[in-house]
Amino acid sequence: MPAKPDALSQNDSNSSELVQGTLEMLILKTLALEPMHGYGVALRIEQISHGVFRVNPGSLLPALSRMERAGSVKSEWHATENNRRAKYYQLTAKGHKSLARETEQWQRQTAAIARILEAQL
Amino acid sequence: MDSGLHAFSLRIKMLFHKRRMDREMAEELEFHQTMLREKLAGQGVPKSELNKAARQTFGDAGRWHERLRELWQFRGLENLLRDISFSARLLRKSPGFTTVALLTLAIGIGANTAIFSLINGLLLRPLPVPHAEQLVVLQIQEGDPEPGYNFSSPLFRGLERQHTIFSNVFAYFEGAPLQVRGRTGNQEVHGAMVSGQFFQALQTPPLLGRYLTPADDQTGGNPEGLAAVISESFWQRWFNRNPDVVGRKLIIANVPFTVVGVMPKRFFGVDPTQRPEIYVPLSTEPILDAPFNMTGGGIHANWLKVMARLKPEVSLQQANAALIPLSMPVVREQVSDADWIANAEQTHFHFAAVSGATGFTYLRALFRKPLVAMFAMCGGILLLACLNLASLLMARSAARERELATRLALGATRRRLIQQLLVESLLLAFVGTTAGLAVSPLVSQSLTTMMLRGYFTGYIDTSIDMRVFLFAAATSLLATLLIGLVPALQATAGNLYDHVKNDRHSRPTNVRQRMIPRILMASEVALAMVLVAGAGLLATSLVRLYRTGLGFDPKGLINISFNMDKQPVEGAALMQLYKALANGLRHLPGVRSVSWEQVQPLAGMTETRDYQTSFSKGDREVYFNTVAPEYFETMCIPLLAGRDFRWTDTKAQGKKIILNRAAAKLLFPGQNAIGQHLLAGDKVSYEVIAVVGDAHYSSIQRAAPAGAYVPIPQSEWKKMSYTAVVRIDGPIAPLAAAAQSLTARLAPTIPPPVMTTMDSVINDSISSQRMMALLSLFFAGCALLITAIGLYGTLAYATARRTSEIGIRMALGAKRAQVIAMVFRQNAWVAIAGCISGLIAAVLASRAMASFLFETSPHDPWVLFVSVAVLLMIASCASLLPAIQAARIDPILAIRCE
Repeated sequence: MPAKPDALSQNDSNSSELVQGTLEMLILKTLALEPMHGYGVALRIEQISHGVFRVNPGSLLPALSRMERAGSVKSEWHATENNRRAKYYQLTAKGHKSLARETEQWQRQTAAIARILEAQL
Repeated sequence: MDSGLHAFSLRIKMLFHKRRMDREMAEELEFHQTMLREKLAGQGVPKSELNKAARQTFGDAGRWHERLRELWQFRGLENLLRDISFSARLLRKSPGFTTVALLTLAIGIGANTAIFSLINGLLLRPLPVPHAEQLVVLQIQEGDPEPGYNFSSPLFRGLERQHTIFSNVFAYFEGAPLQVRGRTGNQEVHGAMVSGQFFQALQTPPLLGRYLTPADDQTGGNPEGLAAVISESFWQRWFNRNPDVVGRKLIIANVPFTVVGVMPKRFFGVDPTQRPEIYVPLSTEPILDAPFNMTGGGIHANWLKVMARLKPEVSLQQANAALIPLSMPVVREQVSDADWIANAEQTHFHFAAVSGATGFTYLRALFRKPLVAMFAMCGGILLLACLNLASLLMARSAARERELATRLALGATRRRLIQQLLVESLLLAFVGTTAGLAVSPLVSQSLTTMMLRGYFTGYIDTSIDMRVFLFAAATSLLATLLIGLVPALQATAGNLYDHVKNDRHSRPTNVRQRMIPRILMASEVALAMVLVAGAGLLATSLVRLYRTGLGFDPKGLINISFNMDKQPVEGAALMQLYKALANGLRHLPGVRSVSWEQVQPLAGMTETRDYQTSFSKGDREVYFNTVAPEYFETMCIPLLAGRDFRWTDTKAQGKKIILNRAAAKLLFPGQNAIGQHLLAGDKVSYEVIAVVGDAHYSSIQRAAPAGAYVPIPQSEWKKMSYTAVVRIDGPIAPLAAAAQSLTARLAPTIPPPVMTTMDSVINDSISSQRMMALLSLFFAGCALLITAIGLYGTLAYATARRTSEIGIRMALGAKRAQVIAMVFRQNAWVAIAGCISGLIAAVLASRAMASFLFETSPHDPWVLFVSVAVLLMIASCASLLPAIQAARIDPILAIRCE
């Protein structure tokens, strides 16, 4: 599979903006469970979604950088369990808040979309 | 907002830790890949294919790295840096253009900054004292259009007590230099007499000791005696910065003063053009000025400048409103002369205040106009330089039009391209300004020296302060826009289609596009025309000033001023001393004749007296001088009738007077004046014994006035200082030393005599005209050079782009002369149009010029004709070169190039 510049290796990605927002929300959620490095985030998302979402490093790392720049995550260098140096990301208070906000927004949107899709003629 | 700030500070951090962050990004990417490889290995991918598989999943690591890096960059800044290095490379590639650009900009901006720092030093910079804005200069309004700035002592002493609107009122006087006794007799030191509240009002603490207070400004000084405050530089020079200077004695005018304090270097009182070294109380004026006494002159001696500090809550308007009802009571209280009071009431005499934040100096009135004129001239040359560079840049960017159009078509925004082109001119302007700033102190220093010749103690602080710096920055920004904007707009206006359709040697099809460079060049020629014509007029005027008959011969004429104020001899004994000095001088080598005069012609000080005769219909004002025998012979003023003065023409022999021709005509119209009598203002009768030729007296510009001379032995003053006039053959240097030793022998207590040549007095008296003429000639030269470069450069560019066209023309049979004419014609029209519009502008601007000219019409046809001729000649030379080069094109080579 060639390197696709887009965020998630999904079957159909609608607007990249939505996808980008989604990716950041997924990262926030993953990091809310525990601090981890970038590869761990990718792995965890893949595992939890049962392989539906495969996060490309080309979008994961910039997304993490962007979130760090915006102050919703902070990073530190730590040793991994295999004694390698890795950059661990951790949610800040601001990150927790934006996760809550984005989750709520997402649920409202999906509920609305579901209602539209289920509408009868 | 908060996150914006956070992001910004992180990006700033990135700027400084660029390398570390870069390394960390690489490490993170590497870690990610390692983990991926491990995972793939776990899934059973064979070792040989591991790298390939990992790369497939991971994608291009370098690209991700780049994407991460971009996230942390300032896009604009980095683009700017890239543009700068690109422009620098382009400029380095054409060293000729770059040198011309930098030189012209450095001259233009340097000259502007130099003149501005003069204007800043003389007119704009506030006094370096706390709350300078509260200071005001007091004036006297007597119904004249021009207010008076000179106060008499009684009026000032009356004002000094007014504290309703003023916190302090103070007066100062910078008269003749003080005579201070040093190791080798009396020396002249620049001093200021200041009233009691002077230092209180200026609020500058002394470096050592205390400053002068109202208690010092009493007749006889404070109870301990007379006090003086010295400047830091005098402390350095005279006392070698000895800290125990306070309490030491200084003998000034043969009277002991006690040094009570030292003022810091930054303090210079209220006249920005003076640097007094000693401050003494105003009340000591009768001692210091002896044998004169301005204080004693009472209401009739107007000699003081008066300033005040407003109370913090009082505005200038309020102060002026309050001064009107306050004025007459002060007059009535201080003046006993009833006529004077009545006259004051009639003329609505009142005091007024104007802002004194920048202090007060009479040099402002003298130099404001010349400075503004020179500023305009410098602005002209800078504008010229900018127009020139704009034309050259436009010609250059015409060669890049295709490249730019291609970039536009590929998606670059026009703004981005304009930014890049402007960066090029910004770079030029920046380097040019830096060079200009570096030379401008030198220029302003030499201009100051040239301008202030003849004002011995004058000084203008032209150092570069914030205001000058901002001015230079604004000028260079303006220059950037002038230079870059039009070419950038024009170069990015084209579209790719036109450029692809036409080949690269095509000429711009758009009429507007073709016209703009020509209009630029024509305005450049016009501007050069105005500058050249102005310089021609000023130079002609200066030459006429020099050629004008002075009425005496300044060549080989030396003035030697002796200061007899503070030595003991007076009256007849002093006459003997003068005779002895004259005799001594006469026997020095090279001296032809010697005489004495009270007033040096053209040196700035004059004296007038009123005379009447039975024919003169009342008093007539006549310029006055007291001279010794042989004066007219020494000055080479012709004795038209009668006899010269003799040393025996004393008062006892009856008062004698010599008139010049103009005075004889004024006082004895149609008569023979010799032997007749006239009455002076004090009703003393004088016998006219001779009529002499007219000579210039107060200024070269004004016609020789009516003048009268009386002999030294009849002077009313017992102790007068006279100037020796000496006519010499040969060099002045041996005379100077001989005169010094002669004085030391005959009058050991007087300060060394001051020697000046009449030529230098004349040069000094027209110093601002001289400076303007020299400066304008220099600028006119620059203007011609710049214009020539511009005409040559633009034409050469344009012709180079037409190489193949010209080659084809020649292949088709065009003669070389035809090609030369064709290329030459392009510029000829530009030059002619420029000359005509320049001529019109010069004639329109002539009204502003007229006041600077002497016996020269601002429409002087010769000057204008010569200016046009010079400009056309220069333009022809500059245009002929590219034309001849074009004619040398080998048609075969030119066409083969296609």
